[in-house]
Amino acid sequence: MSQKVLDALKAAHGSAVDRTATAHTDDIAWIKRDLLLGVAAWLKNDPAMAFDAPVFVTATDWLDWKPLNQPPSMAWTEDKPRFTVAYQLRSSKHRHRVRLEIELTEADPRCPSLSGLWPAFNWQERETFDMYGIRFDGHPDLRRIYLYEEFVGYPLRKDYPKDKRQPLVRRDDLPMNPIKADRHEGTK
Amino acid sequence: MSTTTPPQPSAAANPPQAAPPSDVVTLTIDGQQVSVPKGTNVLEAAKLLGIDISAFCYHPGLPIVAQCRQCLVSVEKNPKLQPSCQQVVGEGMVVHTTDKQSTLARAQQLEFTLVNHPIDCPICDKAGECTLQKLYFEHDNADSRVDTPKVHKAKAVDLGPTIVLDQERCILCSRCIRTCDHTSGQHQLEFANRGDHEILTTAPGEQLDNPYSLNTVDVCPVGALTAKDFRFTMRAWELDATPSVCNGCATGCNIEIHHKNGRAWRLVPRHNAKVNDYWMCDEGRFTYHDLREERLAGAVVDGLPAGWDRSIKAAADRLAVGRTAGQFAVALSALHCNEDNFALAKLAQSWGVTQIYIAAKPQVPARADGRLRVADINPNLNGVKAIAEALGMTTKPVYELDGNIRGLLALGDVLPGLDPGKLKDLEYVALAAHERGPVPHAKVALPVSDWAEVSGTVTNKDGYVQRMHAAFGPPGQAIPAWEAIVRLAGATGSNLKWTHPREVFKDMVAAVPGWNSLTWARDARPLSLRFAGSRG
Amino acid sequence: MATDAHSLKQLVLGRKDVQDLSDNENELPPDLMTVNMGPSHPAMHGTVRIVLTVDGEKVVKSDVQPGYLHRCFEKESEYATYTQIFPYTDRLNYVSPMINNCGWAMAVEKLMGLTHEIPKRAEYIRVIVSEMSRMTDHLTCVGASAMELGAFGPFLFFLKSREWLYTLLETISGARLTHTYVRVGGVNKDLPEELPAKLAHTLDQIEKVMVEVEGLLNNNKIFRDRMAGIGAMTKEDAIATGCVGPIARACGVDYDVRKDYPYSVYPELEFDVPVGTTGDCLDRYLVRIEELKQCIRILRQCLKQIPDGPVVVADPRVTLPPKTATYNTIESMIRHFKHIVDGIKVPAGEAYTFVEGGNGELGFYIVADGTGRPYKAYCRSPSFVHLSTAGQLIHGHLIADIVPIFGMINMIGGECDK
Repeated sequence: MSQKVLDALKAAHGSAVDRTATAHTDDIAWIKRDLLLGVAAWLKNDPAMAFDAPVFVTATDWLDWKPLNQPPSMAWTEDKPRFTVAYQLRSSKHRHRVRLEIELTEADPRCPSLSGLWPAFNWQERETFDMYGIRFDGHPDLRRIYLYEEFVGYPLRKDYPKDKRQPLVRRDDLPMNPIKADRHEGTK
Repeated sequence: MSTTTPPQPSAAANPPQAAPPSDVVTLTIDGQQVSVPKGTNVLEAAKLLGIDISAFCYHPGLPIVAQCRQCLVSVEKNPKLQPSCQQVVGEGMVVHTTDKQSTLARAQQLEFTLVNHPIDCPICDKAGECTLQKLYFEHDNADSRVDTPKVHKAKAVDLGPTIVLDQERCILCSRCIRTCDHTSGQHQLEFANRGDHEILTTAPGEQLDNPYSLNTVDVCPVGALTAKDFRFTMRAWELDATPSVCNGCATGCNIEIHHKNGRAWRLVPRHNAKVNDYWMCDEGRFTYHDLREERLAGAVVDGLPAGWDRSIKAAADRLAVGRTAGQFAVALSALHCNEDNFALAKLAQSWGVTQIYIAAKPQVPARADGRLRVADINPNLNGVKAIAEALGMTTKPVYELDGNIRGLLALGDVLPGLDPGKLKDLEYVALAAHERGPVPHAKVALPVSDWAEVSGTVTNKDGYVQRMHAAFGPPGQAIPAWEAIVRLAGATGSNLKWTHPREVFKDMVAAVPGWNSLTWARDARPLSLRFAGSRG
Repeated sequence: MATDAHSLKQLVLGRKDVQDLSDNENELPPDLMTVNMGPSHPAMHGTVRIVLTVDGEKVVKSDVQPGYLHRCFEKESEYATYTQIFPYTDRLNYVSPMINNCGWAMAVEKLMGLTHEIPKRAEYIRVIVSEMSRMTDHLTCVGASAMELGAFGPFLFFLKSREWLYTLLETISGARLTHTYVRVGGVNKDLPEELPAKLAHTLDQIEKVMVEVEGLLNNNKIFRDRMAGIGAMTKEDAIATGCVGPIARACGVDYDVRKDYPYSVYPELEFDVPVGTTGDCLDRYLVRIEELKQCIRILRQCLKQIPDGPVVVADPRVTLPPKTATYNTIESMIRHFKHIVDGIKVPAGEAYTFVEGGNGELGFYIVADGTGRPYKAYCRSPSFVHLSTAGQLIHGHLIADIVPIFGMINMIGGECDK
């Protein structure tokens, strides 16, 4: 949509940007994990950028990536990063959009949290943690959001089988129908 | 996609004679450079760039005939289109596959092929994995231009004991003829007649009855050749594929288990240049039937069903009888994977066993044909021997069981040479997947996974350690044998602390010399055939 | 009887032993109380649980817990072809299903490069059904919220109007709610012949109903007391918390995807985007009422401007062949077969496509790998984002204010939980 966002980003934070791409009207920049907070703060505060509107954050698990009609070398192998966290931002003033992608390995799936800059990412990072197991450093309340606490595993990962069953959860600490039980006793 | 070329010797270093010929060739396909070993054909070179030039008759494991003319491409400086399967790469060659002429040629070739092709897709076995469907959709996708009646041929010809032929669907690519010749050495298939009456048929006086006949069904790009064993049983697009190793004999052909909903529907070969190339024998393909025969789905104690806790305790008690007297034996199984055997051997070692027995099926010399089939029908005899040796134990075949043995812990459902009378007298504890052979005579039978449910390794006749992946879980209460052994160890005071086959493997390869450099590959997730881009 | 009250108090007061309380304390516990609202609660539209900590009637702390309607849309999408995912998208924002359908179709078309190849008639049909869906969304939201405040009349009137629209949508797609009408490359089939006349008539009727409802609600003291000044949010807050759609517009954020990142044939249509000032519940209500009027305006223009032509792009990669050809030629048989079994093969790549849903920017982030099913299909649901602001909005308000706030957020469970 606007190459100038990517150009400005490369000019201001060239060391943080691994590579950029524009495809299907999206501008994407791959950012190094450790420099993400600086880049994000600049994107929010710089008046020419003014990315004040958060759109979404999610992750992709590249474990089964084997694209058809592409060279076999494009398929995922154990030496490539397994996860990519994608942050989509929008500027309500300038109307431009950008997507930041951060590559993470399986052994260390941690990403700095941007919920301090944009509160909308609070819940969405929780969702990404819930589904992919990506830990967001600095998140005020990183716990599962869609699934229950006792859930084992991260379902959107490619090695989580769709039909996997979960152990049933007993809650012996909760009373079973206390009011009903009492009403029997208390009926006059 | 750029690839590196090997460094050339500098002019000063070498005298100005011809430099030694490089065995890497660089050419350009559709504007992209690619470097391949000398002798590669253009079709394979294009695959490395992700370019799919359609082809029917080409198969990397068979002689090239360039018969179907589907893979035509434009080569610069050559006025005629060339079949890329037969065109060997040349240094500096420039090939175009997206130009109008070759694209039209390939689309028209598909049109010709489809002129007389019957509208059988709804009833054809190959639908969903049919190369003709795939290539038409990707390289032609145009409507029919003819309105004439199609040429009719024989529809369900019985070619032999395993295969049915539909002559109308055959596109006359000759892959099956070459496959039959190449895999079995016998010439049993031929073309007959000419023009649009040409048909595939058996050679005079022959039937398609060689032990490698079903490989022709694999290579057939359409539904002309169908396996009697598989036809009409399951749709290809419903299947999931899991890589594994055939457990039919010591060759250990690499296979894919095609399964759905916890049940295997067929086995097909996987390419491995060192073991089985692209082929496997028919006998091996049928081994999936056995997975559902007489399965032991729950533990049995003294002839009655029991839960795991009780049966483990009963097994420990029974074995204690023989162990205290020093008169007990442990039998490894050449039909089980390395991890199961290693776990059992370690348990035996912790009990002070120095001589261990090996249960293996007897050899079948008639099988050995110098191709894939061998006399040894045990998938893992070499592995078991290596493990026993590494743990410093002597081995004896189980039919030489010592006369005064009172207790026996045996893995597997094969104990050749031990008659039921003898077994009934022993405190025999079985770790078996099937309730047959000696297992019904066991005092305690613990159910374990069969080969297709196992994530582990087997060692073939040449010493290759190959990885099997579990396609589905075992039935009922069965668990992997190594896990049952860990439970048994806990009940008998031995300390085996494994929670994943990867951990068993790690200890095993550290212990066995020659296996130290082996690594455990990540568990394979089932690949949905529907979206795998078609096998054909 | 005494036993009942005793056990109730014990449950409500938690660990405090009732016998230990003095007579005064027995009546008015001064401590903060933890109350559970939902997930099975009439006001929690579509299963949301709020664990409230209240000081008397005032909300002091809240923990909003969604996820009770999580149906694994993303995981299921990874195992279904692109066309098979349309029924799943119906069930995302299930009060405006057509918009979800259109959003998904546009997302796939973007990755295939077909965005500008869609026939004009198909685009107009998509806009017509989308706007009808937007109307059903707003009618439901406003009607249900009014009912929760005690106004049963407007609820029935608006649901009656919604039913007229559902009947028309049923003639178009075959189902009242789960349409699955849109396809990659166009729509499933053409509009029925009598639809333009019926739709024009229905719009006239709905306009009359809206006059009645506005008359009942806009200057209604009870309604205004319950809605005005409740759940207000500043413009900056709205943007920073990711709010879009009627909620953001009520706060003064002038953002509508149809105007700011135009798609389909919206550039050819004239309509206004209502923007509020204070961002409270009353503004949200007014914005939605005004949007309903704009929807009617758009629909009337579409009915006038819609051209004739095909309703699906004539690209064999994307469209099924006609049935007579399928049964009589091998070429069409194969093509039909590959479409159904393999799915539409989308070249490898990733893209984020968004449309203006009933609740705002509804987007699909698809990663394609060249096969007929997506490698990843993420749905950016506005309801999820809006629900995350709910905790902040109800803070300091009474429990009774949770009802209008929740109603006006229009948190659709299917879209929120995916």
